[in-house]
Amino acid sequence: MNESLSRIVIMAEMHGRDLIRRHIAIGLLVALPLSFYFSSVGEGRDAVGTGGVAMAFAVGGATVFSALSSMEVDQRLVMSGYRPLELLIGRLLFLCPFGVVISGIFTAVMSPISHPDDLGVLLLGVCAVAAVAVPFGIAVAAVVPRELEATLVLIGVVGIQLAVRHTSTVAKALPFYGPRLLIEAGLTGRGGIAAPLLEGAFYAVALLLVARVFVGPRLSVTATRS
Amino acid sequence: MAETADQLVVEGVSKAYRHAIVLDRVSMSVAGGEIVALTGENGAGKSTLMRICAGLLRADSGRVRVAGAVGYCPQTPGLFELLTADEHLVMFGRGLGLGRTTALRRGHELLDEFGFPVGARVVTAEMSGGTRQKLNLAVALLGDPGLLLLDEPYQGFDRGTYVNFWDHCRTWSDAGRAVVVVTHMLAELGRADRIVELPSHPTQDRL
Repeated sequence: MNESLSRIVIMAEMHGRDLIRRHIAIGLLVALPLSFYFSSVGEGRDAVGTGGVAMAFAVGGATVFSALSSMEVDQRLVMSGYRPLELLIGRLLFLCPFGVVISGIFTAVMSPISHPDDLGVLLLGVCAVAAVAVPFGIAVAAVVPRELEATLVLIGVVGIQLAVRHTSTVAKALPFYGPRLLIEAGLTGRGGIAAPLLEGAFYAVALLLVARVFVGPRLSVTATRS
Repeated sequence: MAETADQLVVEGVSKAYRHAIVLDRVSMSVAGGEIVALTGENGAGKSTLMRICAGLLRADSGRVRVAGAVGYCPQTPGLFELLTADEHLVMFGRGLGLGRTTALRRGHELLDEFGFPVGARVVTAEMSGGTRQKLNLAVALLGDPGLLLLDEPYQGFDRGTYVNFWDHCRTWSDAGRAVVVVTHMLAELGRADRIVELPSHPTQDRL
């Protein structure tokens, strides 16, 4: 296997092992969006949008904790021979499939209760929440590298996205607007898919770039060899 | 073993954090086969100098040159809380270009030397402070570096392990490595070949 690829795979494996062992934290993070969904399910099908976007708490939160718990290790890993980009890709390689699995479970819980018109698009929307939540968590951890502050930013952004009407200007400027539109499209069977997907992809890439800009200097190891 | 060429050369290195000068034109060199004890008051910049020498921190001015691979053992172990010793060895080993088997074999040899319970499926968070430091030290040595930068690596060691640690330093220097140990333990300074004391700076008194 290519050296760089093998380093990426090892990083994904180790992030996975580290995160999977945080049983209680993961349980709580998954319980949070489920509680959002079940507490609003009596008010109609909007509960799916609420629960779906609230899943960003689970995936984004897991990402923030994964990124921050390895902060002290990361520079040492770079010193041992890893490239910062390999660390980032390794993290994504575990977290993205992890987010997709949680999305699948979450969609499986919601569909028999809320009966979406297009299950496939709903699953796509919930997966899109996860796909944006991972870069969002990485970017938040990069810009605000302390657990309390990072968690507050996560709660703030996802909370505002949940609180404002999805037609408002503020909602449209936030990262989970595209995924929310997809969830709505899955629920009602109406609405486009391409534009929300593109918007989600744009946010994901932009957030990764932000993370790269902030983390790069922090991880740099000065070449001092004579 | 006789001392060989310089493994580490520090020339006029300065570093300040906000209003505090931490290092002011520090120069030193360490040859292969030599043990240097780096001492100084709290805040004298010992850990900062170690981080600069390891390439983890940029100096404001001055130059650092190292001749080969560097093994850096930080004061606080930079380890994942929920990974085992073996998983750390595999992960750091991969960065150093070692396969899983080689990293484990070499890592187990090192851990065995320190009296670490090799093969235990215990994650770092459940290890005692001293056991964690042994793993920290083994990770620093995994790549067979020519220069060892050890920042108070014996914290949490029991008396026997602490004494053995200095014996290990001698073994490493006999093998031609340059060893720099940050220490406050005055009783053990005689075990170093040379002592470099960093001065404290007047600006630090205001902090």
